Amino acid sequence: MAFMIAAYLIIWLAAFGFIFSMVRRQSGLQQEISALRELVQERDDPTR
Amino acid sequence: MILVSAYLALAGAPDAVGLTEDNTYAQRIIYFHVPSAWLSMLAFGVTMVASIGYLATSKRSWDSFAMSSAELGLIFTFAAAASGAIWAKPAWNVWWTWDPRLTTYTIMFLLFVAYFMLRSAMEDPARRARFSSVYAIFAFLSVPITFMSIRWWRTIHPVLIDPNEGFGLGPGMMTAFFISLASFTVLYLVLVLHRYRLERLREQVDELKEALGY
Repeated sequence: MAFMIAAYLIIWLAAFGFIFSMVRRQSGLQQEISALRELVQERDDPTR
Repeated sequence: MILVSAYLALAGAPDAVGLTEDNTYAQRIIYFHVPSAWLSMLAFGVTMVASIGYLATSKRSWDSFAMSSAELGLIFTFAAAASGAIWAKPAWNVWWTWDPRLTTYTIMFLLFVAYFMLRSAMEDPARRARFSSVYAIFAFLSVPITFMSIRWWRTIHPVLIDPNEGFGLGPGMMTAFFISLASFTVLYLVLVLHRYRLERLREQVDELKEALGY
């Protein structure tokens, strides 16, 4: 039974690991977009 | 779907007959191991088709889709290889052997690892897309060889679908197997679309940064 559980755990860890990496990459991109937005606003309005 | 297939795989499907206790449980690994292996090959097949799409149209979205699918292909290749090794221990008494199927599967995995190494070595997006598309088409040749390896060469790996003997599964097992196969295919489609959207978003951010001069 331990073999069966180990195999299922590995498959689901791989799948969830991939989903988790996508979530992290997405949050990284969102941070970059916010930083870009601030930079654009500063460039358009230097008095800010 | 995944929950139903997990239930069928772990408990719902009938036990295989004539096996030791360890092997009876280990046999249930096939309900996730075979779909993982199928998806790895499907994912690399989609990568090959998308690569042809890029070479025919030069549209970057094809290259993004090819890369997204290849990434999932590697995840499912790892899942299939690891679950297969765990099945092999009670069935063959070894975690690993240089059987033709295992060897060709490892070569396929390494060829697609090299696909990502090739991509990371080039900065120009158009050049990267062109080179990696050509490479992916050649790397895909390993997929049919891997699939046919258990039919072409002497091997200890079981043949689940045999043209002469049909499926080596009973009726209850077959239902669980096909539900699991369908669930995994849907999971792949959902994940590859999410990964593709994420990649397109990253490309748009890069283009925006370039346009703004940052």
